[in-house]
Amino acid sequence: MRRTLFVLLLLAPGLGLVLAFVSLVLYVAVSQSFGLYNLGGDSVFSLAHWQAMLGERRYWRALQYSAYIAVTASLLAVALAYPVALLLRKPFRGSLTLSALIKAPLLVPGLVAAFLFVNVISYHGIVNQLMLSLGLWDAPVRLQNDKNGYGVILLQVWKQLPFAFLLLSAAVQALPDAVLLAARDLGAGPLDRFRKVVLPLTAGAMQAALVLIFIGAAGDFSFQAVAGPPSVDSLATLMTSVQSTQGDWNGAAVVAVTLMALSLFGSAALAILVRGATRLARG
Amino acid sequence: MLRKIMLAATTALLSIGPVMAADDLLTASWDDVIAQAKQEGELNWYVWYFQPEFREQVRVFEDLYGIKVNVPDVTSGDDVKNKLLAEAGREVGDIDVIALGGDAANTIDVTKVFYGPILPVLPEAGALTDKINGGDGQGYAVAYWGNQTGMAYDSNRVDVATLPQTLDELAAWIDANPGQLGFNYEKGGSGPSFIHNIARNILGIAPDAVIDAVPDLAPVWDWFNAREDKFVITGSNADSLTRLNSGEFLMVPAWEDMLFSLQTKNEVGSQIKLYVPDWGMNGGGNIVAIPANAPNKAAALLFVSWLTSADTQTAFNQRFGTAPANSNADSSKALVSAAERANTRLWTMPINSNDVVPAFIENVVQD
Repeated sequence: MRRTLFVLLLLAPGLGLVLAFVSLVLYVAVSQSFGLYNLGGDSVFSLAHWQAMLGERRYWRALQYSAYIAVTASLLAVALAYPVALLLRKPFRGSLTLSALIKAPLLVPGLVAAFLFVNVISYHGIVNQLMLSLGLWDAPVRLQNDKNGYGVILLQVWKQLPFAFLLLSAAVQALPDAVLLAARDLGAGPLDRFRKVVLPLTAGAMQAALVLIFIGAAGDFSFQAVAGPPSVDSLATLMTSVQSTQGDWNGAAVVAVTLMALSLFGSAALAILVRGATRLARG
Repeated sequence: MLRKIMLAATTALLSIGPVMAADDLLTASWDDVIAQAKQEGELNWYVWYFQPEFREQVRVFEDLYGIKVNVPDVTSGDDVKNKLLAEAGREVGDIDVIALGGDAANTIDVTKVFYGPILPVLPEAGALTDKINGGDGQGYAVAYWGNQTGMAYDSNRVDVATLPQTLDELAAWIDANPGQLGFNYEKGGSGPSFIHNIARNILGIAPDAVIDAVPDLAPVWDWFNAREDKFVITGSNADSLTRLNSGEFLMVPAWEDMLFSLQTKNEVGSQIKLYVPDWGMNGGGNIVAIPANAPNKAAALLFVSWLTSADTQTAFNQRFGTAPANSNADSSKALVSAAERANTRLWTMPINSNDVVPAFIENVVQD
């Protein structure tokens, strides 16, 4: 009993604070989405705010777009981080520099990166100038704020790759050499070794990377606001737009709850998918 | 000890001098208002735009009266309004002078939330107005900032004679210049002004018409959707102008004061010109008022007087390119000619832009 109490006391400052804040935010957001804690009028329980938001095409497109960006960015970041993590498993000349370069985006704030990126791909930016001078394009091409959100995905992958790399490289480096050598001795080629040995043994790290990147990308505001397509919102930009331009705190709360639900269920779905894919790959 | 306390209290009272009740300000002589304002010595002006520029501009007032003006950082007009309403129940608030869009006067009970009526008390009252941007300040709020949306164009590449003036001419211009018109639908009002006025023209509603209900807007969505590959949606007012300046577009909607300010700072070239077409673009302006619970009402009243004076309005015209809100001010630096200013339209009449723009987002942007 005393030991349990002791453990709880040790956990309280860290975990307690997190739980308290998460609970409060969740409670207020959910309440506001149902008309309670109303900042702009009487607080009355109502489904009207959900009904209104669910009836807007803008809301559904934002949900679809955020899910698309989050899934694509997380899968791409992990897919690109895997080979690098495997390559850097054993040190070689220049491996430290390469490793540092991959982590470099951690030092650049996302908003700064987004502005730099937009400048580079703008109508008279470096990319357009280069293509024109090489004679590959006859006229500048409008690359900025592309309607498919490729720019945002590129920024997300660039920014999130280091997280995936850090998680995966730790898992890959922990693989015993003996296991990989044994697989090779038994006739497994590079692809089989990856599918049947590396992948199952690092699936946990991959799941963690996917989930973390998914949640970060789903809630993106800055990349979307600067480099995203103007005709579609992410859930985060929609939330601020609903609040700031329409003064609709309850509608914004509906979007906030949706964003939290997307993070929760989307990351759970990805984790399950990875587990299933790993089993399939193992054969 | 008691004598020392009494002496200190008497000295303190004498140094403060007589303090007028707030209501007395409205009947006091202007000299008394100035004296009272100087005693208060400080005021907080909540304004949501051009804060760095205004901090420079108010130094004239500070030097003139020795009254410090604080311009706190505020992110949007809505934030200012929310703060005003949130602290309306407090006996003494933080705001001495508040700037709002002119139409905000119609969404607030100005007679309760604001102190006044202040307009009749101002020395230059005859040259001022309490009606702007479709709002009526009822004497409690006074116009201090006139602005106008128009179409900005690259004069190096667009012949003035070919500038579209009517809806049909615009349609032909878009066909002849695909991808060269950009406009925003949020993060600034220039694009919404364009959408609003084009919608009114498509529906064939005269600017001075009186309508009972919002008409069927389907023809508007059809018009825009039929040309969706020929115009570009931009991110904001600033994005439109930046991309026009870089040569990506030939024409974008823009605010007169914003363009003027960017050109003054050499962030946009002088080749970018502005005109107000015959199809009309919204004009309007902002108001200032003194909250009923302002802590420094005399200083606030003096500041509103200075802000709306012909001298300050002329200075604003020279610095920001605004349309002066004082009829005695000089408006010669404005980007828009007096003749074109006749094409100014209201945000709220005959159809409210709030009935058009959100529906535009749903039926054109998301389509």
